Amino acid sequence: MVDLGLLLRGFGTVLSGYNLIALVLGSFFGIIIGAIPGLTATMGIAILVPFTFGMTPITGIVMLLGIYTGAIYGGGIASILIKTPGTPAAAATVFDGYPMAQKGLAGKAIGIATISSGVGGTFTAICLAFFAPILALFALRFSAPEYFALAVFGLSVTITLSGRSAVKGFISGAVGLLLAMIGLDPIGGFQRFTFGFPELTGGLSFVPMLIGLFALSEGFHQVEVILTAPRVSAVLTNILPTLKDLKECIPAYLRACPIGLIVGITPAIGADTSAFLSYAETKRASKHPERFGTGEPAGVAAAQCGENASTGGDVLPMITLGIPGDAATAVLMGALTIHNLQPGPMLFQGQPEVVHQIFAGMIAANVTFVLLGLLFARFFARVINVDRKFLVPLIFVTCMVGAYAINNVLYDLVTAAIFGFLGYLMLRYDFPVAPMVLAQILGSMMESNFRRALVMFRGDATLFLTRPIALTILALAAFTTFVAVRRQRKLLRMEATLAAAQDESAHA
Amino acid sequence: MPPVSLKKVDIVASLLVIPICLYVFYESGQWPILPDLGNPAWIPRGVAACLLGAALLLLGNALAGRSLALPSRLTGADRARVLWIAALTGAYVIFLDRLGFIATTVPYLFGFGLALGERRWGRLILFAVVVPVVTYLVFDTALNVPLPRGWFR
Repeated sequence: MVDLGLLLRGFGTVLSGYNLIALVLGSFFGIIIGAIPGLTATMGIAILVPFTFGMTPITGIVMLLGIYTGAIYGGGIASILIKTPGTPAAAATVFDGYPMAQKGLAGKAIGIATISSGVGGTFTAICLAFFAPILALFALRFSAPEYFALAVFGLSVTITLSGRSAVKGFISGAVGLLLAMIGLDPIGGFQRFTFGFPELTGGLSFVPMLIGLFALSEGFHQVEVILTAPRVSAVLTNILPTLKDLKECIPAYLRACPIGLIVGITPAIGADTSAFLSYAETKRASKHPERFGTGEPAGVAAAQCGENASTGGDVLPMITLGIPGDAATAVLMGALTIHNLQPGPMLFQGQPEVVHQIFAGMIAANVTFVLLGLLFARFFARVINVDRKFLVPLIFVTCMVGAYAINNVLYDLVTAAIFGFLGYLMLRYDFPVAPMVLAQILGSMMESNFRRALVMFRGDATLFLTRPIALTILALAAFTTFVAVRRQRKLLRMEATLAAAQDESAHA
Repeated sequence: MPPVSLKKVDIVASLLVIPICLYVFYESGQWPILPDLGNPAWIPRGVAACLLGAALLLLGNALAGRSLALPSRLTGADRARVLWIAALTGAYVIFLDRLGFIATTVPYLFGFGLALGERRWGRLILFAVVVPVVTYLVFDTALNVPLPRGWFR
């Protein structure tokens, strides 16, 4: 169970001195990043990781948690004001947020979105603090075969649930697995796939690769769309919602909070799925479903609450098992590793005070963005109008500085640039990027634990069938892959039928 | 604009992936096999075999006309802008370490702004000069993260 004493001390640490400043700055920049369409939470963390190098681990982590939660919330601002989601996760907020803005209620919509994101985020952060120690304790029973099975499960779900095509998701993930093998063999210690480059002996630099795939690639995409960026014209008034408004949103919160938590824990799906599911469920259960889509405050509340309620669930498997739930938590995990904090059950054993500071930071970050969101709503609305001709070059330079700052070597810059362009081509041609990055993390975990398991059992591969936990996880991986592939094929068939019907009606 | 089929892209992608898989098989055949430690080539070869299968499936789907479609194609000025930025970034990466952060970033930002169509010269020059200097001071002085000094060493 959670140690309340440590958690209170964690709050004391997080809310004092530089940590508090880092938290506020992180949340502030997070909201700005989220509010600008095209910039995502993942990109924000990837770009700003280098800024934390000179900080103590907890100051850096608290800042990144602020960016993460703030950016997830901030996406809703653009959804409401310009009908363009600031982040993919905020797409469901458009349905009722934009109609509210058209009715002259943009201020009220942003107020409800802010409080709802705060409710969802705080709920899930508290759940994280309570459930993570239990899961970590259970994970102590895990050995190499179980970790191998967990990595296979994470990989199978990630690959099959990402993107429109399971084959392309698989190719992206498999290439990521091969990239993870560059460097030294985990058991034998000989060099693999290094092509004679000494820089590759330690493997590909992970953070430059992240910066390239998630931040630079998006920068290239922004270069494409730079001339079509919409501008905000709405005037914000009455931002603070009334108690009556909030009371009407309570049923939406009661549905969105648990949905967000469960969706967040599930690998590969995150805030976007959670927001859509919460919105759909709230609409289904409403006495007036016909009002949804026309500017219903409960619709905004459900989408925003569900969106932020997934954050704690996403962090849970990352911090307890070392398995990131989505791309954003993969980048967070990379940042933790840079600060010498290796996520997993041993972190709970070795550094429980740091773990509780992270929990406290997560809860505090959710409260911080609510305060900032309400206080500076008009400023964040104006940020959307920022001139892209200056913003995009700034993103590129920050990425380059970030990649260079890790080890001060040219090799990291080249890595970021190559993966940046590769990531852009992948985005452009419908290959999902997230499986490649998650496969980098899970690939080394899968391979080293497989090999360790074989060493433990003297090369007998049938041992996986004699370990109940490992066998259950592997069976679950096979089942979810089967279901996901079937679901995807069905969706594609529906898409094709719809397109054919549209063609026919156009010809008619 | 009508949707654009990804057929060509899928064919090129699968043809790029196939030699990678074959190389994995080739290189992993040369690794030492240590007693009781399992064959180190199992997982790389397993992954390469699956990747090869997926690439052939993608190729087959593309040739059979079952590729997915994109809403639009990147053409004309948009494509030229992306390629220009990619070339500029490549040059920036090459020269950053040699010439130093400020000396490289000023022309980079200026060229970047020009490529994006910015023609308000005063703003552009101010932006191209102020951003590198401020970034340098923030990283080098406030965050203790050294950046290449180059000519200013």
